[in-house]
Amino acid sequence: MANDEDYQYSSSDDDFPEQQYYEPLEHRDITNNILDDYEYLNYDTDSLESFNSDVDIVDGMAVSHVTNPNKKRSIEGAMVNLKYECFTTQDIFNNMLEKVDRLQPMFSIPREDIILLLQKYGWDEDRLLEDWTNKMDGLLIEAGIHINNEQKELPKSQRGISNRDFFTCPICCEDQIKETYSLECGHEYCISCYRHYIEDRLNKGNIITCMSCSLALKNTDIDELMNGPSSEKLMHSSIKSFVQKHNENYRWCPFTDCKCIVHIQDTTEFVEYIRLHYSPYVLCNESHRFCFSCSFEMHSPADCEITSSWIKKAKKESDNLNWVLSHTKECPKCSVNIEKNGGCNHMICSSCKYEFCWICNSDWKPHGSSFYQCTMYNNDELKTQTVIEDVSKTLKRYTFFYRMFNEHEVSAKLDWQLGQTVGNKIKSLQEKMGVSWIEGQFLTESLKILNEGRTALKWSFAVVFYSDSSHNLTKIFVDNQALLANSVEDLSALLQIKSPETIMEKKVEFYNKAGYVENRTYALMECGRELISKGIVKITN
Amino acid sequence: MSSLKRITKELNDLGRDPPTSCSAGPVGDDIYHWQASIMGPPDSPYAGGVFFLSIHFPTDYPFKPPKISFTTKIYHPNINANGNICLDILKDQWSPALTISKVLLSICSLLTDANPDDPLVPEIAHLYKTDRPKYEATAKEWTKKYAV
Repeated sequence: MANDEDYQYSSSDDDFPEQQYYEPLEHRDITNNILDDYEYLNYDTDSLESFNSDVDIVDGMAVSHVTNPNKKRSIEGAMVNLKYECFTTQDIFNNMLEKVDRLQPMFSIPREDIILLLQKYGWDEDRLLEDWTNKMDGLLIEAGIHINNEQKELPKSQRGISNRDFFTCPICCEDQIKETYSLECGHEYCISCYRHYIEDRLNKGNIITCMSCSLALKNTDIDELMNGPSSEKLMHSSIKSFVQKHNENYRWCPFTDCKCIVHIQDTTEFVEYIRLHYSPYVLCNESHRFCFSCSFEMHSPADCEITSSWIKKAKKESDNLNWVLSHTKECPKCSVNIEKNGGCNHMICSSCKYEFCWICNSDWKPHGSSFYQCTMYNNDELKTQTVIEDVSKTLKRYTFFYRMFNEHEVSAKLDWQLGQTVGNKIKSLQEKMGVSWIEGQFLTESLKILNEGRTALKWSFAVVFYSDSSHNLTKIFVDNQALLANSVEDLSALLQIKSPETIMEKKVEFYNKAGYVENRTYALMECGRELISKGIVKITN
Repeated sequence: MSSLKRITKELNDLGRDPPTSCSAGPVGDDIYHWQASIMGPPDSPYAGGVFFLSIHFPTDYPFKPPKISFTTKIYHPNINANGNICLDILKDQWSPALTISKVLLSICSLLTDANPDDPLVPEIAHLYKTDRPKYEATAKEWTKKYAV
């Protein structure tokens, strides 16, 4: 048992070409004990005994996989089993409408009025019910549903649009107004001023009242006035502020333009997860994975603390430097300026055809074999100098890691663009090769694994930056990092292939490489967690 | 240009029926920039002082509130050293149905009844709540020094 588990910290896989490690995923019976898989990795485990002290947790994880055989082990393995739901504002609003339906027989007032009451109480049913039983009439006046007769100044009027001759609007002071609007309170204004007034308030989410008193406009009034379903916009912003207010249980998906909201009913277990250095990752309906605790994208092997200090540090750096670092590079041979526009780090200079690695700027040839590690920061250089604490060196060290982080971020973005083409590729497989849609899904799956691997790789540089580089486990972590980096590059290169024939020929290779990346990602995450829980990572800014 | 029409109307109304203890009007040719004055309310430590304020109308007035600030120094929990006023109707509680005349009256009542629970200057608010006589003495002193 113990030996089986050691696989993940091993750094030497020189003995076996990686193609032999895995048979295609579809042939694997994942309900078997997952540790069976690791028999493919016949690693030398003797040198790794020292990292075996945390067996309990590793055991616990293995068990959790067996009980959850439908989920692949890699990413979820570094994750805890959270119960959550994913909503949109529309879903939450629909739930609220159900609440309204439940309350209606009890309140015996129109549904529109209950919506106003709930809006006033921030959609908190319990607090509303409590106040409702105590002061029913007062509440109806407070929420602007009934007129406060004590403050009445004008004769009661009809709610709605009126047609008038020569009306002067007190807001815009235009005379000869034809169409006006007023509530029962009698405060009358022209339609265009009312529209302007409502338009300004739709995205604030509060109850919209008459411009002169506290009488409220119901959703039906707003729609009548605006000549369209504008109240929907108001309801959505009201739900948005509800989500914002209950942010311990609700989180917006942090991905750009994603409208998902993840809801976790019970967050009491979080303390325990954090103690074990797990991060509570959730997956929104748009397949974006993010950390519920810090609202960042998935950041394993880094934990929330490392993530936030790394981000803070990065923000201090000048934007210009970042752009230059991440977008352009000179060809190491002919010095022509190169902007990277594909996901793979294997570059071929368009002018001199020199092949080099985008990350380390040196010849590509040695990258083909797995022992080559261009992700490793060479600390020997530092040791030759006497004062390690030298500020310039710290900065140099940071710049190195930041560049690595940035490279992978840019690559991840390019991979994402690559992902946009995967749909077309599957389509062409269907058309030209007669492959079924289901069968073509290995491309989508590989891309997903590639993205996750890339993200883990990116954040691993933040972990190494804060780690004690002299510690043995850090070295193992860096080795794991290099293995993942190599496998990610391989997979990325495979996904660049355009010809449908070649793709089908290499189908097994896709499975092998993707499976390998998946395992390496998992291993790196676990190793990072170990690193953090052993206190080898120190945050110093 | 509904804002121009509305501001002109407010100016005419102020001329026809000026509110007690306040006055307001354009500074020069620019109808969007006014100056106003408020007499310190008799039942407050600001009695006897005349306080000047500057008013800037936004182009989408009255849908957006006017920007009003004191140009005379004043010792008050809701008014800071730059003359900025913390008053709800000048921010999120603004309504297009409000007018400059109504706003100036609200500022007058703010001078009589400060709102120390929502302070702009915490030190003054603290003094207001813990040592009212000392607050009033300081406010009187400032009024004498800057507003008479």
